[in-house]
Amino acid sequence: AGYRECVCVQVRMAAWDLSVSVEELGPDAPPLKISVTSDLHIGGVILKVVEKSQIKQDWSDHALWWEQKQQWLLKPSWTLDKCGIHADARLCLTPQHKPLRLLLPSGVTLRLRACFSSPVFRCVTGLCKLLNIRRPEELSLLWPVEEKKKKKDKDVEEELYDITLFRRVFICALAGIIPKLANGMPAFFAETPETEAVYKMLAVSQPAPAPETIAKLYRSTNITEKAHINSRWLDSSRSLLQQGVKENDKLLLRFKYYTFHDISPQADAVRLTQLYEQARWAILLEEIECTEEEMMVFAALQYHIGKVSLTEQFVASCPAMDDLDSALQCLEVKMEGESSADDMLETMTAPELHDYLKIFRPKRLTLKGYKQYWFTFKDTTISYFKSKEESCKEPIQQMNLKGCEVAPDVSVAGQKFCIRLLIPGPEGMNEVYLRCEHEQQYSRWMAACRLASKGKTLADSSFSSEVQSIQSFLAMQKTTPSTNAAQTDESINTHSLVSPRYQKKYKPKQLTPRILEAYQNVAQLSLTDAIQKFLQIWQALPDFGLSYIVVRFKGCRKDEVLGIANNRLIRIDLSVGDVVKTWRYNTMRQWNVNWDIKQVAIEFDGNVNIAFSCVTADCKIVHEYIGGYIFMSTRSREQSNTLNEELFHKLTGGHEAL
Amino acid sequence: MDDIDAMFSDMMQEMDLLTQSFEAETESAPLPKPPSIPAPQEMNFSIGFTDLNASLHDLEDNDLDALMADLVADISATEEKFATERDTFKGSAPVAQIPSQPQSNFNLIASTDTSRPATSSNSIAAPPPPPTSKPSKEELEEQMKADKIKLALEKLKEAKVKKLVVKVEITDGSSKTLMVDERQTVRDVMDNLFEKTHCDCNVDWSVCETNPDLQTERAFEDHENLVEPLSTWTRDTENKVLFQEKKDKYEVFRNPQNFYMWKKDKKSLKDMKDKDKEQLLEENFCGASVIVPDLEGILYLKEDGKKSWRQRYFLLRASGLYYSPKGKTKASRDLVCLVQFDNVNVYYCKEYRIKYKAPTDHCFILKHPQIQKESQYIKYLCCDDVWSMTLWVTGIRIAKYGKQLYDNYKAAVRKAAGSATWANRTIQTSSNASTPSPTPKAKAANGHASHPAVETKGPGNQTSFPPPPPPSMEILPPQPPDPMLPPPLPAPSSTTKVNKFPPPPQFPQSSIPPPPTDDLPPPPPPPEDAEQPPDFLPPPPTSMTSYGGAALPPPPPEPLASLPPPPPAPQNFASAGGAPPPPPPPPPPPAPAPAAYQPTNSVRKVAPSPPQRTTPQLAAPSGGDFMSELMTAMQKKRSQP
Repeated sequence: AGYRECVCVQVRMAAWDLSVSVEELGPDAPPLKISVTSDLHIGGVILKVVEKSQIKQDWSDHALWWEQKQQWLLKPSWTLDKCGIHADARLCLTPQHKPLRLLLPSGVTLRLRACFSSPVFRCVTGLCKLLNIRRPEELSLLWPVEEKKKKKDKDVEEELYDITLFRRVFICALAGIIPKLANGMPAFFAETPETEAVYKMLAVSQPAPAPETIAKLYRSTNITEKAHINSRWLDSSRSLLQQGVKENDKLLLRFKYYTFHDISPQADAVRLTQLYEQARWAILLEEIECTEEEMMVFAALQYHIGKVSLTEQFVASCPAMDDLDSALQCLEVKMEGESSADDMLETMTAPELHDYLKIFRPKRLTLKGYKQYWFTFKDTTISYFKSKEESCKEPIQQMNLKGCEVAPDVSVAGQKFCIRLLIPGPEGMNEVYLRCEHEQQYSRWMAACRLASKGKTLADSSFSSEVQSIQSFLAMQKTTPSTNAAQTDESINTHSLVSPRYQKKYKPKQLTPRILEAYQNVAQLSLTDAIQKFLQIWQALPDFGLSYIVVRFKGCRKDEVLGIANNRLIRIDLSVGDVVKTWRYNTMRQWNVNWDIKQVAIEFDGNVNIAFSCVTADCKIVHEYIGGYIFMSTRSREQSNTLNEELFHKLTGGHEAL
Repeated sequence: MDDIDAMFSDMMQEMDLLTQSFEAETESAPLPKPPSIPAPQEMNFSIGFTDLNASLHDLEDNDLDALMADLVADISATEEKFATERDTFKGSAPVAQIPSQPQSNFNLIASTDTSRPATSSNSIAAPPPPPTSKPSKEELEEQMKADKIKLALEKLKEAKVKKLVVKVEITDGSSKTLMVDERQTVRDVMDNLFEKTHCDCNVDWSVCETNPDLQTERAFEDHENLVEPLSTWTRDTENKVLFQEKKDKYEVFRNPQNFYMWKKDKKSLKDMKDKDKEQLLEENFCGASVIVPDLEGILYLKEDGKKSWRQRYFLLRASGLYYSPKGKTKASRDLVCLVQFDNVNVYYCKEYRIKYKAPTDHCFILKHPQIQKESQYIKYLCCDDVWSMTLWVTGIRIAKYGKQLYDNYKAAVRKAAGSATWANRTIQTSSNASTPSPTPKAKAANGHASHPAVETKGPGNQTSFPPPPPPSMEILPPQPPDPMLPPPLPAPSSTTKVNKFPPPPQFPQSSIPPPPTDDLPPPPPPPEDAEQPPDFLPPPPTSMTSYGGAALPPPPPEPLASLPPPPPAPQNFASAGGAPPPPPPPPPPPAPAPAAYQPTNSVRKVAPSPPQRTTPQLAAPSGGDFMSELMTAMQKKRSQP
């Protein structure tokens, strides 16, 4: 009604025609001409356009977009005059929220409605709220790598989840309401089976990809290429539409700042999963380098996470389950303390293994090979006797396995099931091989050896699960890996757990035992623990958290690389790859950007001044990285969850913030 | 079932033996004489002594008392159980018993004949009335068997806790003897030693092990258990346990910059502000994963089985120690893993230039803790200078122990701060302190509270059992100067030392936004209202605009809490109540030569059985011999004029 009065007042002033195109009228329809005066408010313009269009619909999400200036006109009370709009302006009435294809860290594409009118920072905040990811300031959007379209691949449809059609999801996203949780997920996801499936996709890690998928994906082979990735970040202080993002475009959602604040497994199911996915792909695609030993541990964890994800779903998001482990442990202790004699009898007269096995000690200078004895396994000790009948006599030898190293030496195809033991003694390590006849026997003895090496006995509750995990891993070797198969229930091609470098270096059957070796240390972890362990090892890698930009230092003739981390800047020699210099943020006095010559100048304590121009990325990106990390460091220990958006823009916005 | 039967009767015999030795002492009613049984010794009972006798002689009085008390409690508890069992038996209804778990430092099981009926032990109660009918007799037999098993199992549980008598040498040449039980951490043991030695409790004090064969030395980490590594020493070992100050131990927490910014000139790092140091620690130790110093450089590696040392370019990563093979780059993918740290410890070495022809004397080795002699499984490394050795060894410790190391340090700082205030009191009362103080948790878990009859000093529990030698010492001679007391580690100096100590880091402070704030000009006037639309102002200004920390808000008004007031120094004083300071033990006998060690002992030497669920077959060592040793020690003491 207020606008209507305004319209009445306008009549007396000099009127001119403003052309506004309305998306709903179709792309070819001519723009509507409406008669306006310079003191008409934006709100009034919209009202006039809507009236003229004669379309009845909900217009509440629409706003005016000024095409020539690439600006949104979001203040309804501002007059055309104040906005600087004259008759030559071409405006467009368009929804602020448009569908966007979002490529998640897990590689899944999600089609949803994103805000095209607010700064990317706020847009990401909204997306994260929708996806139930806390701490949205750590994420941002970037353009995907331009794919060289091969005609062959065209028919390969990408996996797409579409939630644009779910009205309630959209409304919640609009309103920015944090919805109540139902079944550990935001209520709007629990509404239909389809949305529930979407949430499951978000919160549960994806099965291991086929080895070809890894090999086919774009890989940056050197530091310069890695630096190019960072040129694709969107500007946080401007809107999507301003940056040329169009409806239905594809953008990547990624963790940009490698400082993950306050992760709590209960509240962060999606965040942890997506973080894990990003880390996993960074390792598979060699975006971050690691050693062979580390790769095997990563592979073992991936295998374990993939396996547990199939059975143990939503554990991370369900608060009741999360204490289950500790509750079980309590129970165990309690039972130990209070057990009646019968229970004690059961637990203490426990388990023992005995069987005929073959033993081989490579140290003894003989070629005798394996010799058969009667073996018993009790507590953490293996004893062996000449035969079963003599088992009541003194054993030929006893070996306490506590603290020993256990390694598999297995070939399912060759029906070879050996356990390699390195038993520490005062004189050194004694190498012993035990050869089992078949899988069942092997998995039991292997499990016993592993437990014993950690000082646990057969009576330990983890024995049976240990046996199972060994068997399932053996099953991996049995199935001849069809190269294309992704991870199904039990079988997996170990090539899908390592980067292409190791796919080339090792055959799956060579890789499996090595992964198995690493797997024994992680096989007992819960899903959340395994994911966190993966993230921990990732974060402990020397190159973790470095974002590279190729720069040219003032006074230097050649390009060098600037590495930006959460606490420091490093200067890297491009030819050798060595770190030449490190500057820490806490010695930084100020940094300046000259937007015209695109130069960043930084002053450190002790009159240290550096200046560089950015080669591979806009200096806004460098500026945003540095400011962003400083922003991240201000939030530590802050109890409140409110996000200081204003501060972020002050630190990262550049000239637009002033 | 045969096993259990045998086991049970063995145990009964053992009980008899024990009981009898006490009987003899107190001259009460004689008990059936046990058959002479081969009594294998507890192999690892003492460390730093050539035989058990010596170790017992060395043990301070109050320690000895505590040991006795434990044993008595153990035996009386068993007595109690016998009685209960009798009762149960009479009623011929099995009652589930709550297992009591008095501390016991040895296994009460010996291997002997199975024929001897268990009930023939010191029972006063008559065996159950003979059953009238045959089937019921069988039932009863079964019942008996079940009861036996029950008792045997309980006994097994009790036997879990292992103790060692350890002789600890102190820098000044003196030594202390103390009893350590397997649940105690090195931290606990050090607290104990602080009280015994009156030293200042600064964070550098460490318990170290030395190995003369390998010429190595390693400071145990505070969280480690002491008994476990000591148990793996060979019987004839000349290894020693030392108590000394080690500057390297926590240097990384006092001057993290020297380790984490080791590439920079050390002089330029000298004046680093405490605030910046704290931030370094926060960054590297308080994140999701501990960051290991990015050490890299040339070290010499002793080649397998050869005398030569080869230069290699080494890199330290959280996952292990790597080197880059000749002709390859330093890229991660090309690195070769020398060793991962899960199963090895790092040891400083002495005089390897002579022993192994090392290029310098600054060597360290990585080996499995159980390896005690030269072996191909040891990795020998040599550095150019002391500092680089410190860097590498510390780096490896960080990679191995992670955040635990930092927690240890903080605990040590608290202890040091606490001791400063309590210094006087400690000096006055410390002579009382003796019993090993298991952590409170361990104590509770041990079931002391749940079974009143087990109370060490409780007089009520000795009805069915002759009393142990009283802990009171009226008959003993007046106290001569304590020979065990080390020459004064003077108390006054200790206080000054504590004061010199760097103030405990104030961790809450590090939540402040990074330092630039302080040095920057006041923030510019706030930009226009955030609610306003994106401005339509003309393109960017051409001048250099200044941002930076200036835009930062003042640090959040967080309470700059210094550390909470130090907790009072833990009082590990013996529960011996108000007993007067006990008299000194007899002077230690001259340490017999290692050769005096009897080979028979080593025959049965098996790797130490794990604390959990020992089964009779494996738990060969028995307390039989030990008990008599103990008794002679006690008698000797009493008979002293």
